[in-house]
Amino acid sequence: METFVNICFSTLRMATPLIFAAIGGVFSQQVGLINIALEGLMLIGAFTTVLGAFYLNSALWGVLMGIIAAMLLALIFAFFVIRLRANLIVVGLAVNLLALGLTKYLLQVLFATRGAFAPKNLPNLPPIDIPVLSAIPILGDIFSGHSFLVYLSWLFIFLTPIFLYRTVNGLHIRAVGENPNAAESVGIPVKRVQYWVLVLSGAFCGLAGAQLSLGNLQLFYQNMTNGRGFMALAAVYFGQGRPLPSALACLLFGFFDAVQIRLQTTIGIPPQLTQMLPYLIIVITLALISLRYVRQRS
Amino acid sequence: MRSMTYVWWREILRVILTLATAFLIGAMIMWLSGKNVLMAYKILFLAAFGSSSAIADTLLAATPLIFTGLATAVAFRAGVFNVGVEGSLYLGAFAGAWVGFTLKALPGPLIIALALLAASLVGGFWALIPGYLKARLRMDEIVTTIMLNYVAIYFTSYLVNYPFSVPGLANAMSPVIASSAIMPRLMPPSQLNFSFILALLAVITVAIFFNRTSLGYALRIYGANPLFARWSGIPSSEVILKAMMISGALGGLAGAGQVLGVNYRFIANFSPGYGFDGITIALLGANSPWGVLFGALLFGALRSGGSTLELMMDVPLELIRILEATIIFFVTAQFTLKWINRRRMKALPTS
Repeated sequence: METFVNICFSTLRMATPLIFAAIGGVFSQQVGLINIALEGLMLIGAFTTVLGAFYLNSALWGVLMGIIAAMLLALIFAFFVIRLRANLIVVGLAVNLLALGLTKYLLQVLFATRGAFAPKNLPNLPPIDIPVLSAIPILGDIFSGHSFLVYLSWLFIFLTPIFLYRTVNGLHIRAVGENPNAAESVGIPVKRVQYWVLVLSGAFCGLAGAQLSLGNLQLFYQNMTNGRGFMALAAVYFGQGRPLPSALACLLFGFFDAVQIRLQTTIGIPPQLTQMLPYLIIVITLALISLRYVRQRS
Repeated sequence: MRSMTYVWWREILRVILTLATAFLIGAMIMWLSGKNVLMAYKILFLAAFGSSSAIADTLLAATPLIFTGLATAVAFRAGVFNVGVEGSLYLGAFAGAWVGFTLKALPGPLIIALALLAASLVGGFWALIPGYLKARLRMDEIVTTIMLNYVAIYFTSYLVNYPFSVPGLANAMSPVIASSAIMPRLMPPSQLNFSFILALLAVITVAIFFNRTSLGYALRIYGANPLFARWSGIPSSEVILKAMMISGALGGLAGAGQVLGVNYRFIANFSPGYGFDGITIALLGANSPWGVLFGALLFGALRSGGSTLELMMDVPLELIRILEATIIFFVTAQFTLKWINRRRMKALPTS
């Protein structure tokens, strides 16, 4: 029972960065721009959050810095894609590479370390105890005591569909994604919408990175996203660009991440095989979904 | 084919502008972190080309990149965004090493040939998985190839940590390959070896493949315009599968070349991202085999010079990755060519 509670608790923790990044991915998908850069935006967010928290001595300022940095990088991404009409996928990969190179470079130049940056007095995101819920035995142990970012991600899971399907701005986003030329002809500023959406998805990736570095671990290590941005993208594919199914996929992937970590510490299964598990499962689930889709069509 | 005649100088200009921008941004980053920029670039250049041994090291560093660049170019030409060369490289490297340390009794050239064959087959079939998923299930290849890279890296790491581990070694690596399976060196004491020659042969083969074979033609047509290809009776799924098979085989050869020529065994996590460098190189070289060769030599120089730079001036090797990212940013951007187009328009007002 304790194991079950532990795994559920860490599923929610591990899923949160994925959920934030996937929400960013959903917005980009809805505006018709596949966001390959989630990984890099998340990494820059994770790094800058720790950097901000360290220098400004405040976790909240750190999170804010993380969001701003990811938004700036997303703005560069958007500039190249929209203004300079560079290939969307190629520039997305460039963002990931830049984030990886820049964070490693700065780790070495600023802190003379190649691996992890874990200063002693790094302010952390305090766990929040939810008054009534925390008193309930099992549910309290699972759902209470997370950082505020975890709860914020749940809020956004429900706000995103409302924004996309019930507001004018959301309608504009979907119209641009459906057919940019048609959207242009009815007076929607297509490029401005695309810019805003990409920068917004950068902000979500900043939150994702913040939870990853400051929420889950209180440190930054090189390449700490390790494919989670692509997992989030896989979740968006899984949900076919819809917010709720995408978030559910993130919970599923987060669950396998949590199980994987659990297996490493408890049973004698080779850690390389358990680490392989989430990636393999993503390929298999996506394949099964595509198979069903192809069968339905034929 | 009028458009083909002036494309080459535009390509060259595009590459020069892209590289200049990258080096400029690299200079800014070094300047901001308090390094002597001119000195750094001078050291980088001398360490890459300053002596015959420096050149040998550059060619050595370029060898796997030629293979991964070609691997990526073949897939890109067919319109498949294969980001999974890294995975083929790992599995191919392990397959090559396995032949090298298992079939020790065979004569040298035969082991090498078998190791290369095993590496290309394993790499090729591995790439067929995302190829099949794209061709038959219309699955986006980017996410699947990236996910499968992690699977390949962790799986080979498992292999040398458990079934093929060598007792008493601190690092995860396979047994050493037979001494007869080691690729002969070209310019001792440099580690530059015969796999560089194989890489050059691969460039020529891919060039012939693109320009002189019907499959190469089908690949190009499909990549340029899938709809037109389908209407001309080229079956799309077959093109995807064959392109992925060739791409993966080249990736496997990249891995085997490192095993047989440099490390003499499989080492877990040995690649510093050769497969990903292949993407940059293919893009920079406009997916042409000779362009890939140029790009790989350039990146070989950067990698080999970069390590000296790190040693002598404390400039992190990651600077090279930042340069690389900058190159990818600008390589497909349209603005660099705008003023050229405008001038062309003036020169040819009627067209």
